[in-house]
Amino acid sequence: MIINSIQFLLFFLCVFLIYYFPLKEKVKEQNILLLLSCYIFYGIADWRMVPLLLLATGVFYVLGILIGKSNEAASSRASLLTTLGVCLGVGLLLYFKYLNFFITSFSDLFSSIGLSTNWSTFNIIMPLGISFFTFKLISYVIEIHRQHIEPTTNMVTFATYVAFFPTIMSGPIDRPNSFIPQLQSKRTFNYDLAVDGCRQILWGMFKKMVIADNIATCVDLVWDNILITPGINIFISVLLYSVQLYADFSGYSDMAIGVGKILGFRITSNFKYPFFKKNIAEFWRGWHISLTSWLTDYVFMPLNIKFRNSGIWGTISAIIITFVLVGLWHGANWTFAIFGLYSGLLYIPLMLSGSFFKKSKLEINKYGLPTLKDASKMFATFILMSFGLIIFRAENIGQAWDFVCQMFSSSLFSIPDNRGLRRLVYAAVLLIIEWYQRDKEHALQIEDVKFLSNSIIRWGLYLLLCFITFMYAGTSTEFIYFRF
Amino acid sequence: MKKSEILAKVQGIFIDVLDNEEIKLTDETTADDVDEWDSLSHIQLVVTIEKQLRIKFTSKEILFWKNVGEMIDCIAIKLENA
Repeated sequence: MIINSIQFLLFFLCVFLIYYFPLKEKVKEQNILLLLSCYIFYGIADWRMVPLLLLATGVFYVLGILIGKSNEAASSRASLLTTLGVCLGVGLLLYFKYLNFFITSFSDLFSSIGLSTNWSTFNIIMPLGISFFTFKLISYVIEIHRQHIEPTTNMVTFATYVAFFPTIMSGPIDRPNSFIPQLQSKRTFNYDLAVDGCRQILWGMFKKMVIADNIATCVDLVWDNILITPGINIFISVLLYSVQLYADFSGYSDMAIGVGKILGFRITSNFKYPFFKKNIAEFWRGWHISLTSWLTDYVFMPLNIKFRNSGIWGTISAIIITFVLVGLWHGANWTFAIFGLYSGLLYIPLMLSGSFFKKSKLEINKYGLPTLKDASKMFATFILMSFGLIIFRAENIGQAWDFVCQMFSSSLFSIPDNRGLRRLVYAAVLLIIEWYQRDKEHALQIEDVKFLSNSIIRWGLYLLLCFITFMYAGTSTEFIYFRF
Repeated sequence: MKKSEILAKVQGIFIDVLDNEEIKLTDETTADDVDEWDSLSHIQLVVTIEKQLRIKFTSKEILFWKNVGEMIDCIAIKLENA
């Protein structure tokens, strides 16, 4: 049951009606309903992993209470219990997501130096959303240990935080500090918030179904036929893939945030117009924010504090380690580790030149466009990221190498075919709309746009966008981040 | 050194490191209240405070501060024990 399906719409409609009518203003009952909905949603996706989710939730719930009690007693047991929680969370990820990867990697390493092994991999099913819910569990125990939050003594509240159905499959990764208090407070129907949620869902659907899915057919065709595709078409597919990935993932995030708003929740943002950033550091502050801020708080900061007397190279080391983990978080493949390493290395010139520490706003000319200087920086950042995403998209390093070699062949200077150029128009439409709405949370917050001040015109536009979304939807593909 | 003096000293460091003359710190100030105060500048602030006040924080202390007030309390204890 994916979030942009009719099944989800019917499921959500049932939840919505019960949530706001018989259970209006009854926080406890609303949370029980939400929890049941979360487990039904998760169970429909993969019922075999429901016991694991329940068990992990139960263990971390108890750990949270024990850490809270140890904090009160100022005992060193709190550190031990937190370490245990972190090890359990990381252990879950290592077992379900990375064990086979490590077995094959070490087996390959030993065979490359002449030592034969007969290690076999395990038949492990990766639970859906494991990368997202384990990060929620880990942050919960760390935040209690740091005394930034109190442990919740309500199992329903905690379990709903962990399994919240709009975000369990693909994030955003909400922090307990901001999300649990929302579950504990009264939620009445907020018309303005709900309408904004609906608009954000519509914008997310447009990005996913029209932009991402249409671009996907073109990009997939190139990747399936690398060796016979002219270099120029490969180059265009590189540009397109960045936009596809953004439209796909930010589209999902918008839909999840929108669903949350209808239920009265403020879910953390995941994207802040990353293509309008002037360097890689700024780009990452606007791309998959809930993951990068999680790793900043729990990996980069502790490392940087440890390395703080090593000067700039200490910080660079912390950045590179963090980014390799960002890469590996996406999956058990060396391609992701290399993508992370590449992203981390791109920080080095910024750090050495000192521009990393300078924050400057975009300079806009009288036509409402970026100045040539800023536009060139934005374009350079886009190109650097797009090239990094080649290894991210590739199934293995060999395929990425073939892709790059074919791109830089003499056919790079040939005439591109129409298919890629047409998809560039899709990408341009998205970027132009988002450019003019870049100060808003999402592009459909249009109440203060002058020519859309009339509500009839605005509703006409929403209907038109619905029509376009269903008429021009590409071949439905799964959300890219479901795999992670 | 009194806590108010420590706060004034720390405020001076914040202004220098973050290059923002308008910073006014209170015990309740957090990183959310100061634009330039992010994960990276936080370390620069910590290193500068350690150098100027000749103290050394533990990793745990730095990670556990919730606001400027807790940082000042921690500095006051370090200076008392110095």
